[in-house]
Amino acid sequence: MAQHILNAVALGSVYLVFALGMALAWSTIGILNFAHGATFMFSAFTAHVITQQVALPMPAVVLIAVAAGALIATLTQVLAFGPIMRRATEHRAAELRILIGGIGVAAIPLAIAERVTASAPFGFRGSTYQAQVFEVFGLRMTTTVLVIVVAGIGIGVGVWRWLATSRQGLALRAIGVDSETASLMGVDRATLALGTMATSGALAGLAGALLTFQLGAIAPASGDQLLIKAFAIVVLGGLGSMGGVIVGAFVLAGAETFVLAMNQGTWVDAVSFGLIFLVLLLRPQGLFGRKEVRRT
Amino acid sequence: MIDWYFSHIVLIQSTFTTLLLALSVQVPLRAGVFSFAGVGCYGIGGYLAAIGMVHYGLSTATAILLAAVAGGAVAYALGLLIQRLTGLYLAMATVAFTLIISVLVVNGGDLTGGASGLFGALGMLDTGHLLAVVVVVVAALTFTELGPLGRRIEAVREDPELASAMGIDVARYRRATFAVSGMLGGLSGSMTVLLRSTVTPDDINFHLVVLALTIIIVGGSRSWIGALIGTVIFVWMPEVLAFVGEWEDVVYGVLVAAAAVYLPGGVTGAAVDGYRKYRRKRREAAASPPDAPPPQQAAAAVGGDS
Amino acid sequence: MTSSALAGAGAGDGRDAEAATSVLRADDVAVHFGGVKAVDGVSIVLTPGRLFGILGPNGSGKSTLLAALTRLVPLTRGRLEFEGRRYDRVRPHTIAARGVARTFQTVRILPGRTVFDNVALGAESAGSGSKAERGRARERVRRAIERTGLSGKERHRPDELSYGHQRRVEIARAIASEPTLLLLDEPTAGMNRQERDDITGLLADLRAEGLTQLLIEHDVQMMVDACDHLFAMNFGALIAEGEPEAVVRHPAVQEAYLGTQGRAHA
Ligand SMILES: Nc1ncnc2c1ncn2[C@@H]1O[C@H](COP(=O)(O)OP(=O)(O)OP(=O)(O)O)[C@@H](O)[C@H]1O
Ligand SMILES: [Mg+2]
Repeated sequence: MAQHILNAVALGSVYLVFALGMALAWSTIGILNFAHGATFMFSAFTAHVITQQVALPMPAVVLIAVAAGALIATLTQVLAFGPIMRRATEHRAAELRILIGGIGVAAIPLAIAERVTASAPFGFRGSTYQAQVFEVFGLRMTTTVLVIVVAGIGIGVGVWRWLATSRQGLALRAIGVDSETASLMGVDRATLALGTMATSGALAGLAGALLTFQLGAIAPASGDQLLIKAFAIVVLGGLGSMGGVIVGAFVLAGAETFVLAMNQGTWVDAVSFGLIFLVLLLRPQGLFGRKEVRRT
Repeated sequence: MIDWYFSHIVLIQSTFTTLLLALSVQVPLRAGVFSFAGVGCYGIGGYLAAIGMVHYGLSTATAILLAAVAGGAVAYALGLLIQRLTGLYLAMATVAFTLIISVLVVNGGDLTGGASGLFGALGMLDTGHLLAVVVVVVAALTFTELGPLGRRIEAVREDPELASAMGIDVARYRRATFAVSGMLGGLSGSMTVLLRSTVTPDDINFHLVVLALTIIIVGGSRSWIGALIGTVIFVWMPEVLAFVGEWEDVVYGVLVAAAAVYLPGGVTGAAVDGYRKYRRKRREAAASPPDAPPPQQAAAAVGGDS
Repeated sequence: MTSSALAGAGAGDGRDAEAATSVLRADDVAVHFGGVKAVDGVSIVLTPGRLFGILGPNGSGKSTLLAALTRLVPLTRGRLEFEGRRYDRVRPHTIAARGVARTFQTVRILPGRTVFDNVALGAESAGSGSKAERGRARERVRRAIERTGLSGKERHRPDELSYGHQRRVEIARAIASEPTLLLLDEPTAGMNRQERDDITGLLADLRAEGLTQLLIEHDVQMMVDACDHLFAMNFGALIAEGEPEAVVRHPAVQEAYLGTQGRAHA
């Protein structure tokens, strides 16, 4: 039982880092980045390619993945989302085009990684990192799990508090609520968007490295699956609520681990789909989201 | 020509079925309803047709009809259930619905054949049948795009509040698009499966949603012509891009992203815009000579004979 | 001067006599947005064939009242009646189909459609598909376009029109439905002198034809000249109503509205 909980916490931490990146861009600058999954995968892939050349320790591998994620997301913003936002007259039209732009961008790294690996899973075997196994209170723990949980929860809480309390966080949230007011407050939308996307991409990269260390290897196509899980998490927590993302990530991981533990493996995917559907049906604003006030 | 037809028959047939799938997403979108329920109904239709043929020995026509009706009914019920949702939230709920279908069929036991799906559901279908169905569908959709109905649907999409102030029952239009979308999805799914003779859970996936969406955004979301153009582009691109070999998917990604940035109305939108600009230029040119009639009349004259 | 300007609380006098002939009556209508009481207990009665006006400073709840009368916002409380039938529960499209047409304060026309198409949207909404009915609808569109001075611009798209002409499309669309009651939210905003005179002339013609109208405008002199009966609002409540000259002179109105804007006309 306790072992299951530990597994759920580790899984939830990875979900959290990934979903937090997506929620950050979505709830502030209004970008639902469909390439977030591909960014996640390709960051880990970049680190994989480099570790095949040089034997690197774990922190260096993680750093490479984080930098790659930030770079991919920045490029996505500069080449696709930025131009769309500048050209679109109204937000609703831009939203749809950003979705499609993300889909297009996502296809590129996926195609490259699938070609290089022939669609086979890849890992960090070239890294010098060796997981240590130890026992705490009778639980089998690895150093990987420890790193993941500490990093995940630390970053989750860090981003949440930063958004809630810091000046930049306030500016970001102002944009999320009302971009007109925000620009009156002297917030430069384009720069903030770029910074937010880079941060969001860095989180995707971090999640990519962590999950690859945890599982040993990930497949190029794993980015898309994670994308849908992140939807479920954001919807469950409520768009705009970072605290909600934290809760959502662990609830989803807990529920999936539970379904697995009950030997119902074929139903695991239904958990996230079912959650999305039920939450939207019963409580569209999520657990912690604010109710939208629409003005006419 | 005959040779070409037979060597490309799979592509030709999948152009028709993919067009129906794309239309199942376009019809609601044209009324401002961002729903992918049609893709879920594609799965429902595909499985119903296969189950009908394999387990109950239905005829091809009955199986397709059943799939279309069931798709329409399920989507309509879904529409009632989630009618409060709009925008991305609606999109996500309907994507979830679609993916839940794929999990259900994995766990459907002997009825759905579990993870390996169903085999041996070969229908008596040929390109002529497909063409006939598509022509009927397109004719019906053309009617919804032109004249008063087209205007009302556009009002429902652009400004639902204005539409209801004009006496249009917005909720009814939205529900209707769900039903139509489900029927189109059911048609597309059943015909696809009966052509291939097999269906597996993997056939209903997120990529199908992505495909339908990219087709109508790249082609154009306002008319079936856009869906047709998009379908032709994406169904035939692998064939055309054969020369880039393994980099085909990269080219695909670049094209889709470029279309999102540079073609807000898709290929058809760009064509219509270009045509309007050309007409306006001509109109202005016609109005500019000093002894020409005043601009208003000239404009009416040019516009009137179109 | 039968009903002299009186405070909103006294608006119930003679209600029964008016009930039989009222086109629209609203009783104690309130619309709250969270804590904002945009409209708070307004009662009005519109009698046939007259041109009514609503005056009030910015944010006093005029547009929200119109939205309430057309069921576009949910009522917090109150009762609405159109031609003797209660309608505070029906959905907005039904009341529009019964003969209440409106314009919006901001121009709301379909951007991709021609002037003709936009006006046709109003003319056809009730229509069945029969050929004769379609012909009648076209005729209504033609006439509405002509009356609003848009002739010759049928094939133009909104982005080819001046702001004043876009406003005219709003008005044309509303009158093309040949309504029983016409509600106009600042129809002449952003128009020049000449254009405003055109529109007020049109409203006077419509009144002469027996159409009941409720008009929102900020220009006090224009409202006094155009309207048969004025309502004055402030902070979501009716502060005065009655014969225009009297309403304008009412102390509460002077204070709320004319104190800032009416000087020029005094
Ligand atoms: N959808 C809404 N949500 C929240 N508050 C609203 C909404 N609509 C209007 N309000 C508020 O209700 C009040 C009344 O607004 P309304 O638009 O009715 O005023 P108005 O008299 O038409 O003003 P104006 O002359 O500027 O048009 C204002 O304080 C406004 O901010
Ligand atoms: Mg107003």
